[in-house]
Amino acid sequence: MHYSRKMGNVEFRYSIMETQPLRKMSIGKPGWAALCLLGVCLAAARPVMAGAPVRDEPIQPLPSRHEQDERKVALGRMLFHDKRLSKDDSLSCAGCHPLAKGGMDGKARSAGVGGAEGTINAPTVYNAGLLLAQFWDGRAQDLEEQINGPIKNPLEMATTWEAIIPKLELDPEYVRRFGELYASRVTAEAARDAIACFERSLITADSPFDRWLRGDETALGAAEKEGYALFKSYGCVACHQGANAGGNMFQRMGAMGDYFADRKTGLTPADQGRFNFTGREEDRYYFKVPSLRLAALTAPYFHDASVDNLPDAIRVMARYQLGREINDAHVEKIAAFLKALPGKHQELSQ
Amino acid sequence: MKFRFAGWMQYLLLAATVLVVMLFFQNRAIDVEQHNRRLDLLLHLTESEGALDRLVLLTTFFRLNQYDPFVDKTQRVRQLFAEIEKTGAELKGEVGIRFRADLAEYLDAMREKLRLLEQIKSKTALVRNGLHYLPLAVKETDALSPLLNELLYCTLFPTDANLHNLHNLIDKAKPPAATTGTGLDAFNNALFHMRANLRLMGELAELRDSYTAVPSRERFNSLQHAYAGAYAHLTQRSELYSLLLLALTVALFTGLGLALRKNARSRAAAEHSWEQLHDAVESLSEAFALFSSEGRMVLCNKRYLEFYPWLSELLQGDATLDEIFRQNTLFARLRLTGYEGSKLPVYFPELAKGGTQTYLEQYEDNRWYLASDTRTSSGEIACVRFDISQGKKTEQELRKLYRAVEQSPASVVITDTQGRIEYVNPKFEETTGYAAEEVLGQNPRLLKSGDKSEKEYQELWSTITSGKVWRGQFHNRRKDGTIYWESASISPVRDYDGVITHFIAVKEDITAQKRAEDQLRLNATVFDTTTEGIMVTDADNRIKSVNPSFTRITGYLAEEVIGRSPRMLSSGRQDTQFYEELWRQLYKRGYWSGEIWNRRKDGAVYPEWLSLALILDEKGNVTEHVGVFSDITQRKADEEQIRYQANYDALTGLPNRSLLEDRLDRAVAGARRERSKLALLFVDLDHFKTVNDTLGHVVGDELLQQATGRMRVCLREADTLARFGGDEFVILLDDVRQAEDAAEVAKKIIDAMSKPFVLGGRELFVGASIGISLYPEDTQETAVLLRNADMAMYRAKETGRNRYQFFTFAMNEQVYQRMEMERNLRTAVDRDELFLCYQPIVDLQNERVVSVEALLRWRHPDEGVIDPDRFISLAEETGVIAGIGLWVLRQACAQAAGWRRQGIELAISVNVSPRQLTAGLRVDQIKEILAETGLPAAALKLEITESLMLQADTTLDWVDDLRELGVGLSLDDFGTGYSSLSYLKRFQMDILKIDRSFVSGLSRHQGDNSLVQTIMAMAASLGLEVIAEGVETQEQLGVLRQLGCRYIQGFLFSEPVVQESLLERVGAIQADFHRGFLSSDSG
Repeated sequence: MHYSRKMGNVEFRYSIMETQPLRKMSIGKPGWAALCLLGVCLAAARPVMAGAPVRDEPIQPLPSRHEQDERKVALGRMLFHDKRLSKDDSLSCAGCHPLAKGGMDGKARSAGVGGAEGTINAPTVYNAGLLLAQFWDGRAQDLEEQINGPIKNPLEMATTWEAIIPKLELDPEYVRRFGELYASRVTAEAARDAIACFERSLITADSPFDRWLRGDETALGAAEKEGYALFKSYGCVACHQGANAGGNMFQRMGAMGDYFADRKTGLTPADQGRFNFTGREEDRYYFKVPSLRLAALTAPYFHDASVDNLPDAIRVMARYQLGREINDAHVEKIAAFLKALPGKHQELSQ
Repeated sequence: MKFRFAGWMQYLLLAATVLVVMLFFQNRAIDVEQHNRRLDLLLHLTESEGALDRLVLLTTFFRLNQYDPFVDKTQRVRQLFAEIEKTGAELKGEVGIRFRADLAEYLDAMREKLRLLEQIKSKTALVRNGLHYLPLAVKETDALSPLLNELLYCTLFPTDANLHNLHNLIDKAKPPAATTGTGLDAFNNALFHMRANLRLMGELAELRDSYTAVPSRERFNSLQHAYAGAYAHLTQRSELYSLLLLALTVALFTGLGLALRKNARSRAAAEHSWEQLHDAVESLSEAFALFSSEGRMVLCNKRYLEFYPWLSELLQGDATLDEIFRQNTLFARLRLTGYEGSKLPVYFPELAKGGTQTYLEQYEDNRWYLASDTRTSSGEIACVRFDISQGKKTEQELRKLYRAVEQSPASVVITDTQGRIEYVNPKFEETTGYAAEEVLGQNPRLLKSGDKSEKEYQELWSTITSGKVWRGQFHNRRKDGTIYWESASISPVRDYDGVITHFIAVKEDITAQKRAEDQLRLNATVFDTTTEGIMVTDADNRIKSVNPSFTRITGYLAEEVIGRSPRMLSSGRQDTQFYEELWRQLYKRGYWSGEIWNRRKDGAVYPEWLSLALILDEKGNVTEHVGVFSDITQRKADEEQIRYQANYDALTGLPNRSLLEDRLDRAVAGARRERSKLALLFVDLDHFKTVNDTLGHVVGDELLQQATGRMRVCLREADTLARFGGDEFVILLDDVRQAEDAAEVAKKIIDAMSKPFVLGGRELFVGASIGISLYPEDTQETAVLLRNADMAMYRAKETGRNRYQFFTFAMNEQVYQRMEMERNLRTAVDRDELFLCYQPIVDLQNERVVSVEALLRWRHPDEGVIDPDRFISLAEETGVIAGIGLWVLRQACAQAAGWRRQGIELAISVNVSPRQLTAGLRVDQIKEILAETGLPAAALKLEITESLMLQADTTLDWVDDLRELGVGLSLDDFGTGYSSLSYLKRFQMDILKIDRSFVSGLSRHQGDNSLVQTIMAMAASLGLEVIAEGVETQEQLGVLRQLGCRYIQGFLFSEPVVQESLLERVGAIQADFHRGFLSSDSG
């Protein structure tokens, strides 16, 4: 009954508690009364939270709860962890996006089916639902479209839905759940929907920074607050803004300096960025600005994973995106601020 | 014409209806709901576009500090794209094409905006980032503060003049004179950022202009305008369609009204003509009914009701053809028949279209209706029925009479007054052999046989033409020429006026009657002349008559037996029970046959085959018994002979195998009952095969007969001696008290068989091996008893012939071992288990070893070294010998050649089994081996046995080839077989080997050495060398030396040794000679 119960096991119990009485009730008067009361409580709770004063900052708090159907989320979670989604039943989505470890595997290039090596650094799945588009180059409009990418990529799961569906149909649990939730057999469309639902539920809410935004002055220490101030004054915030601290625009890698020339490792096709998708010259070296929400947890950094620690990442960004150097003290403070960005989620262990 | 008009009307109506339906759907094509949704979506899109424009404006003026609102809006816009495109695709026709084209243009503009928007976001971020940082950068170098202010001013009011001014200022900006080092760096850095910012601001302004220049608004308006116009047009058209729809509907209803009126009028006309038709139908004398095309009755007349009284109820109501047919069948047992060749009706509804079917209906009360069903051109069915019952009745009467004539047992001929045949019945055809068509129109005279006079015929004619009946007999001729007797009655037929129109002759064939008389005569003759005795007795079983054969067989004359009972013939051998059974069967089945012993008049008893039969009167009472019998004395004797032959061996007269088995079964059963013992002796003659092969079958047969005689005297009367096959005999000893009894018999037989047989003028030693099995000790089963005895016999043979052997259970084990050994033997060569030993052959004259005999040994993995005695015969039986033999030959030759290369010249002897020859040991194989090993042919001696020589022809060729090759041949085991000198000559042997059995008997003192002496003499005369085998003692050596035997082989010199020890052994022998141990005077 309590609105704030939204985490982990508590959430689970919540749903049990609410459904059990419903079943037992022979829809008598007391039952209807309880339902109405619940409705009133929920309706009343929402405006209160939405109306809570939030600081007017370029970075906004993440929504406290997701809007997804819990049963679809559960099904999506099953599929997300199901290795049958790969050619040789060896790799699930979670293989490269382990949820307990920040939603990515911490490798520069993830290993696909048969040990194949990917071409670009795997981003986190957390808060992915808030991104303006999917993949570094934004070639997928939404999560549903994105899922086809790794499934079909010969360097990743290397399979097709035509191959996956018959395998899933052998599993009575899937047949039952798809039947209940989609009134259909196991289909690619439904599977994508379920996985996307699950991914949209992966919101790392209630971070120290968000609590600060919502008015809790004690949520951040001095260093973190200073770090945020520097983050803004150096101009980082121009790109890394919004609830996701990024992820809502594209930007050139090396806006104020030639990053790729200095990197000295030669250009890879992936370095072309959004150009690969649009074919427009104006998009060459443009990438989706990544969210910094879990940056503290998801080293290595950048699409090419060229940096493996946060301070260096901050320095590189300053040099090539802002056209300046930042002293170590400031770097440290900005890093402290970034560490206040990750929120909580039952899948995420911290 | 009318029909055509109606057709046109129909088409018109149909066309109108289709038009109405089309119009209706055309109107529905405009879906207002979709239209509204489309408009809604467009509205939403343009709203969202406005929102985006607003956001862009805010962004470019840095009024927006984060881009999340963009994300929501652009995603919303993209969704709307998809939805609008979907509704666009649903729009049909010209309007749809136009709409989609306009929409595509509009969406292109929108997408362009979205593209620019993203660029604006990126650029703005960079500018913002500069604006954020510049104050910090400038702070480090005060000189640039005014410039910064100028820049911020420009940001707020980015007019061309301002920007131009700022460019100039930045270009002219110089660091303060005193600044060096970090200060200068900071200055340059700030300047760099200012320049960059200025450039970016310019780019941003351009992007913003491009964004606002995108003609999305115009395109949206043109889209909306065009769509609204098209929609209005559609709506107008829809109204037009509605009007058309209304007009058509009114027209349809008018048409309908007219049609109804017309229909009413034509119905009145139809009713009128209906009445007319009805009257016409009623006046018909035939029954008439009309059915609709579906088979429903339309009308019927009164006659119809009269014709089918049982249908009255049905015809009141709703009658159908089917139902009428059903009730006709049910209530009046309707039967349908074809009429004058027409087919049976294919009943409604199958009645052929437009055709007529005619058939007859017959009912159980003898009503007959001629039915005619016609399908009219309009599809109705008209049924007409004529009552033909009266005609049918007459027809049936006639048919009966006709039938009587047809079936008459007498011939019937009808002629006209001229005598021309008009009709003959089947009996006539049968009697005369003429078919009706052959005689119709002919005069009956054609049957004349010619033995009736013309006068008699004239008399016949005058009688019948005068109207009287003539009766008499004809002696006529059939078609096939045979003559027959006929009694005839010919009468005239008159018409109403009393004029004779026809003559009818009724004739009976009396030939059979005449023939029966002949038959009786014939039967009497048979009775008198048959060789079988016949006796007829009356119901009281008193003899009525007998035939001459009766007298011949029994000796009794007819007068001696007539009136007496047949019991007088009884021999008394059958008891009363037998006769009772005989009579019972005779009366039950009407006959009896069987064997019976009777007594002749002279008192002799004889067997006869008697067949008895009953003769019954018409009431089934027995009037007489007939007995036919033949003397079967001779046949019985023949049967006995045959039985004997089936069970006894023709040669020896002994029970054969089948009789033996029969007796054995009985004996075992008896022994089981009596709890007594049985013994079975399996006797096999030793060397029988050799006798048969060498001396011929006549001698062999004689031997078997003599052996039989000898064995017989050793047995008791109750014992069975049987020939089991070939040279095998089986003796069944009934009721033995103990095993020793059987052994006693076996010993006697062996003794008897050991004595020489004199056959074809010569003495032969044969001997016998006997196996004994006992009941019940060994087994309870007869078959096993035989098998055990057989096994024991083989064992006796194996252990040295001419002896007996009781079966032991160990033998079963041995048989198993034999199989096991066979299995091992097959792989022995491959597993390298065979090896050769060599026994030196010494030349006494030169006092040296000249040769060695290769002897095969088998190193069995489990049993150690096995002697050839134990496995060679097995190898021969199983054919393995072929492979082993070749191996031995190759090995021995290789070894001898090896010694030769060492300078030791030894010849080598290798044994060749007869089976090897039959298994195909070819001379060219031997030649090949010699070539292979490099051994000279003269150094190889093949040792063959006498039995090999018995295979005569093939061996002869083989030996010839060998001799040509230069290989030596020695005859092994000489003296043990039945070799004759002629063989030795024919086969051109080089060497004779005297068998060890002769050598072992040699003694200096006994002086009975004549056999060896004879062999020596014979060999000398044939120019053969002689080797004495098995020499073990100095004494034997001495005798042999004395007899002039040059070559010696035996333990005295050396046992067979392995190749490694041989040379050493040879050396030792040489040394012994040198030392004089073995010289002539040393014994």
